[in-house]
Amino acid sequence: MPNIHIPRQEMPKQAPEDRRDNFNEVALGFTAELAQKEAQRCIQCKKPFCIDGCPVEIDIPAFIKFISEGDFEGALKKVREENLLPGICGRVCPQEQQCEIQCVLGKKQEPVAIGRLERFVADWGKQTGFDDEFHIEEKKKSVAVVGSGPASISCAIDLRRFGYQVTLFEALHKAGGVLQYGIPEFRLPKKIVDFEINNLDELGVDVKINTVIGQHVEFDELRGFFDAVFLGTGAGAPLFLNIEGEKLKGLYSANEFLIRTNLMKAYKFPEYDTPIICGNKVGVIGAGNVAMDAARCAVRLGADEVYILYRRTKKQAPARLEELENALEEGVILKELVNPVRVLGTDDGWVRAIELIMMELGEPDSSGRARPIPIENSEFEMELDTVVVALGTKPNRLFLNKVPELETTPWGTIQVDERLKTNMEGVYAGGDAVRGNATVILALGDGRTAARSIHAYLQNGKH
Amino acid sequence: MKYNITQKKDIGGTDYLLEVEAPQVAERIRPGNFVVLITVPNGERIPMSVQKAEDGKIAMFVKKLGKTSRALDACGECTTLEAVVGPMGKPVELKKFGNVVFVSDLVCGHAENYLFSQVFSKIEGNHMISMQTFPTKDEIYPEEYLAKGLCDEYYLTTKDGSVGLKGHYLEKLKELLDEGRCDIIFGGGDIPSLHELAKLTRPYEVPTIVTVRQIMVDATGMCGSCRVFVSGEMKLSCIDGPMFDATKLDFEDIISRLGMFKEAEAKAMEWCKQQQECK
Ligand SMILES: Cc1cc2nc3c(=O)[nH]c(=O)nc-3n(C[C@H](O)[C@H](O)[C@H](O)COP(=O)(O)OP(=O)(O)OC[C@H]3O[C@@H](n4cnc5c(N)ncnc54)[C@H](O)[C@@H]3O)c2cc1C
Ligand SMILES: Cc1cc2nc3c(=O)[nH]c(=O)nc-3n(C[C@H](O)[C@H](O)[C@H](O)COP(=O)(O)OP(=O)(O)OC[C@H]3O[C@@H](n4cnc5c(N)ncnc54)[C@H](O)[C@@H]3O)c2cc1C
Ligand code: FES
Repeated sequence: MPNIHIPRQEMPKQAPEDRRDNFNEVALGFTAELAQKEAQRCIQCKKPFCIDGCPVEIDIPAFIKFISEGDFEGALKKVREENLLPGICGRVCPQEQQCEIQCVLGKKQEPVAIGRLERFVADWGKQTGFDDEFHIEEKKKSVAVVGSGPASISCAIDLRRFGYQVTLFEALHKAGGVLQYGIPEFRLPKKIVDFEINNLDELGVDVKINTVIGQHVEFDELRGFFDAVFLGTGAGAPLFLNIEGEKLKGLYSANEFLIRTNLMKAYKFPEYDTPIICGNKVGVIGAGNVAMDAARCAVRLGADEVYILYRRTKKQAPARLEELENALEEGVILKELVNPVRVLGTDDGWVRAIELIMMELGEPDSSGRARPIPIENSEFEMELDTVVVALGTKPNRLFLNKVPELETTPWGTIQVDERLKTNMEGVYAGGDAVRGNATVILALGDGRTAARSIHAYLQNGKH
Repeated sequence: MKYNITQKKDIGGTDYLLEVEAPQVAERIRPGNFVVLITVPNGERIPMSVQKAEDGKIAMFVKKLGKTSRALDACGECTTLEAVVGPMGKPVELKKFGNVVFVSDLVCGHAENYLFSQVFSKIEGNHMISMQTFPTKDEIYPEEYLAKGLCDEYYLTTKDGSVGLKGHYLEKLKELLDEGRCDIIFGGGDIPSLHELAKLTRPYEVPTIVTVRQIMVDATGMCGSCRVFVSGEMKLSCIDGPMFDATKLDFEDIISRLGMFKEAEAKAMEWCKQQQECK
């Protein structure tokens, strides 16, 4: 029986003072008992709005009901009908803006902790060795999947399940896309990403790392060799500020800071070879997930003071609320309503300080958020020795440069129709390569949509 | 998949030849490309120029500099590399330029010099001139690794004059420039020398294209570590380069940021010695 009088269950976490010094996962996950208790809060709405809020429309009440009854396998099967990476999404989806914001309980009290429950069943499945048991009817046709982020992973799984011969190509030495190189260990342990990649192997997807499409293998060759292609090349090209001082030592793009730390494991330097220099006073520009990740890495790398420098206020920050709060708990200081003017250096070319200008909020802009307006003559200097620019990223150019015939939008993303087909025969695309900076779950949904479109194309002939 | 090391031997000074089996990479290497190596499982991604790409193998000249290059050199039982990725970067246009010059004074430049000489001398209408500078006769590579046998005109210089012409390639090059014998100049090696090269050729208005060795991490255009400024505009050396018009490059920036990790690199060396992986 649902019981709305039970309060929302807190998920156990590492204490802030402990986790400041390690890269282990912060949130520890529900126990079975906590999960069941939380699941009992769901009132099983006849018309569940939460499903509308979920980009891949998981049957949320159904899977939660299974949990409340203690049938975790039933719950996991239900989730996996729509979401092939629940262990990842349960950890990184912005639930508070998606399913949980729609939860009816949220009107009077706190919404059901859908994300934490999703994570719980996924972890339960991993621990108990749950397997989907899928029968694959082999087909001769083959598909190339470029990239290995969530869009490519989900596309590869579905195509394989349709029976196609799937080869996945990743440029880096580890597969997983942003899940591997960007999102830090303390938020998404790499063993979870590796587990999903391993599952790809077991499903019969041929995963080829260290292979750059467009360089190592030409795109035309690839198209000649495979019957269809999915492009999940992401949007990983760094944006800089285009202000004075970006040549200074000690200034990084967030991607460099995170790739060094996460993919290359610079926090284990010199056992791992790649170094990182993180000073004592670090300023991170931006307030999205990427900025939070960079700031929290800086804390763990030993910085004394870490600032998030944001031109709007906390309320408008695009980061997942949970991560923003985790960052603040760890001692990250949010400086609102400031915008960088220039970065100042020492005589030998290291970052010394940043010049900021104070902002105020004006009318809403096209994003619906209040527009920040600089306050005249309010510039001031703040001493810093490391600056991390976390302003978002652009589509990866490496591949796009090599295929000028592929139609792109004015923002540089790949142009697709509603089936995610590009202007090139048999070539489909999805995820950040199409959307710009989006989310894991949207990328994952795209991968599945593209797999269905590719299946239709390969069955019915030309589109 | 691992990549077999087929040859590793000292060739002069602190430089060694490293040859690995990487058929797909070898088939596609063009002048201007580079590769990325990972030598051991916990290793960094290090960019390398290619000297030769034949029979499914690529050869490189590696300087024993820091942890990665020294540990690989010292490791007798290392028979494979973790990764050989490439070709990376933009190749140069293969065409008839007329008098093509390649100048080099350091390990990577010498590798590029070899590959450029090999390829450009075969293009109809090109006269390939190669210049290589070594500190003294003791550091000079065996002849089979020099561009000497591959080009139409060759100058070897040593800084102390112990073999070949005395001085740096810059001095001999000035003579050729004065004689109007250069249609295009490519260069690789020591970055401050390439800066001098840019200053030298600018008044002659001869196109001067050089390899920038800015520090790379992913080498796929995703981190910005390798950014350089060309006429003030930011470019990524790993995907827009690594060869750029020398006369438009901000060399002060390149030199300053190349030294960013000096302290960390020294620490890595110390650690490597403690583990007895480096000599
Ligand atoms: C630091 C950070 C934190 C984030 N946090 C969150 C979060 O908490 N929640 C959330 O929902 N989203 C988050 N995001 C966004 C999310 O990670 C992305 O939207 C998502 O990963 C996009 O997936 P994708 O499959 O489109 O591409 P990506 O994950 O970007 O993967 C693309 C892959 O393609 C490879 N590739 C590119 N070109 C080639 C080529 N030519 N040949 C071979 N391979 C190639 C790349 O190396 C890369 O591995 C975050 C992003 C970052 C950077
Ligand atoms: C396009 C390109 C081509 C290159 N070709 C050659 C070559 O043919 N032969 C050769 O010996 N070296 C070459 N290098 C440089 C080579 O990558 C570095 O020497 C190597 O990474 C040093 O590693 P290490 O651990 O031995 O030394 P470290 O102690 O780590 O570094 C010593 C110095 O090497 C440079 N360096 C370090 N890491 C990198 C990196 N990730 N990317 C670029 N430079 C770095 C820095 O200037 C540093 O101060 C090339 C670099 C680039 C960018
Ligand atoms: S090395 Fe990362 S962008 Fe070039």
